[in-house]
Amino acid sequence: MVEGRLIPKPAVIEDVVDEAPNVRTFYLRMPEGYPEPKPGQFNELYVMGVGEVPISVSDVTQEGLVAHTVRVAGRVTEVLAEASVGDVIGVRGPYGKGWPVEQAVGKDVLIVAGGIGLAPLRPVIRHIERNRAKYGKLTILYGARAPRHLLYKYELEKYASIPNTELLLSVDKAEGPWEGHVGFVTDLIPKADIDPERTIAMICGPEIMMKFTIKRLYEIGLKDNQIYLSLERRMRCGVGLCGHCQMGPYFVCKHGPVFPHWFIKKYFWVEQI
Amino acid sequence: MVSGGIYSGKFGELRKLFNALRLRGYRVIAPKLEDGVIRLKEVTSFDEVPYGWEDIQAPGKYSVREGGKHFRHGPDAPKRILYPPRLELFRLRPDWSVEYPKERFPPTALFAIKPCDLASISVMDRVQGGIGDPYYLALRKKLIIIVENCVEPGATCFCSTMGTGPEARDGFDIAYTRLDDNLVVFRPGSDLGVELLSELNIEPATDEVLRKYYDALKNASLKAKAPFELERLPDELELGLNSPVFKEVAERCFGCAGCNMVCPTCFCFDVIDEPELDGGAVRVRVWDGCFSYTYAEVAGGNFRKDLWARYRHWVLHKFAYWVRQFGVFGCVGCGRCITWCPAGIDLRETIKSVVEWVRSRGGG
Repeated sequence: MVEGRLIPKPAVIEDVVDEAPNVRTFYLRMPEGYPEPKPGQFNELYVMGVGEVPISVSDVTQEGLVAHTVRVAGRVTEVLAEASVGDVIGVRGPYGKGWPVEQAVGKDVLIVAGGIGLAPLRPVIRHIERNRAKYGKLTILYGARAPRHLLYKYELEKYASIPNTELLLSVDKAEGPWEGHVGFVTDLIPKADIDPERTIAMICGPEIMMKFTIKRLYEIGLKDNQIYLSLERRMRCGVGLCGHCQMGPYFVCKHGPVFPHWFIKKYFWVEQI
Repeated sequence: MVSGGIYSGKFGELRKLFNALRLRGYRVIAPKLEDGVIRLKEVTSFDEVPYGWEDIQAPGKYSVREGGKHFRHGPDAPKRILYPPRLELFRLRPDWSVEYPKERFPPTALFAIKPCDLASISVMDRVQGGIGDPYYLALRKKLIIIVENCVEPGATCFCSTMGTGPEARDGFDIAYTRLDDNLVVFRPGSDLGVELLSELNIEPATDEVLRKYYDALKNASLKAKAPFELERLPDELELGLNSPVFKEVAERCFGCAGCNMVCPTCFCFDVIDEPELDGGAVRVRVWDGCFSYTYAEVAGGNFRKDLWARYRHWVLHKFAYWVRQFGVFGCVGCGRCITWCPAGIDLRETIKSVVEWVRSRGGG
């Protein structure tokens, strides 16, 4: 039922974490019957009488709280950002196809994230951490505008201590003491120790950053079927009905948001598709 | 089921048919003249149906005049009835419980719609029906369709190319054709159609009538053609993604999204949440269109900020992506987007030009 699919159910905000300027993470106690989201899936978050926004799941805690990292960018997120612990918001989901964590079993995983793009990839890091023996080397390349814009600063460095993991950070501008790279996140690709034969790459960030990343990955020998990316589009309904998120013949909300690159490259590189 | 046979009767039999539908309790939606435009509205008397009126359509032009023999479809398609422009979906109470609007699916008969619009319903069956839109399905289940075949297609019609007209093939209860002022040919397309026709004074068409019918529709078919072929069209258009034609044509486009609105198959919608005084909210579905600036806009930018890209998306969606998504074309050749375009942009010419561009470069 379409109407049923469009009905938000109430979720309680159990925790709010300030991540970066204009970015907060909301930990939600989900309504009964809400299925556990897979890494890379998203929910529609709803503020009563204001509207909905599609937000990636950025964590599922041991207690079953579902995290959403929200950047204030428009009418709904402005109101949402004001919400505090104990408030009730609406949720629908989880929607979309997630990251290929099953296909990546036995392989190295390369994560390339730009800015808020780390949010949908954080569940992949968690998943690999919890199932460490099933995966090969984990490489995390993460870039942001400046150190203060990096997400999850309280745990970011800890990723490096996950066994067999390499973490490299990059910022556009250091704005103070900074040990990581200054420049583009794509500059980190040649610096990292990546085995192109056995790597699955998962990319999320601004589209221009993802395009440069793909070019750099080609240079080190990765093929299209080793590259996955999560696309941003206007996902109004989340269930492939309203049309807004179309890219070529795909409804990004249901055919994606995570796509293997070979599957969408015919359209992805066309200007303003 | 299509029950084949062809029968003929006098014009007055149409009035009987109309009245039979009303007597059975159907809300009859039919062409109706309003403010100089033939709309699709609820009609309570057969005399409201504008027989004896004619519309004149051309790119960017529409007018009506009395005394013509045949009217065609106006700006309203069955979409307006089956998939209304604004629909209250439900109300969320402050405690998050859900309240649905009261029963609103009256048994409906579409009377004197055109074959292109009949075809648009079969497209909607795949789109709205395929995804299980309950409002659409509720109306659709109880829908009776009386279709009027087109003896005189208009200047913006291209149903013949799209394979949707000028003669309805299936999916109707009754198809009729006005061959002259007092000769109407009837064809049942369902058991209910046979039942309704049983109440009329009609008889199997004579060879003379059949010949007239055949000639009329063959003639009409020759008129309703576009300068392109469907064969391989989706592939050719995708080869034309980088064609300059879209930019050239979009120079004339206002981006008004009027074509989205009059299109009988455009299905995009937006959801509006209207706050209520008690702290609850009403969720409303409204038509949206890919020509509007905000359509592909997100927090960080706009994926189709330029009008040419929105124009290209619309053309490609109708003739290429739609086929990939739903297995049929998203266009039925009704020509509304041409007639009602304030700039008079002719979709047929755009497609022809893109195909020519592709072929001139050795593609296709």
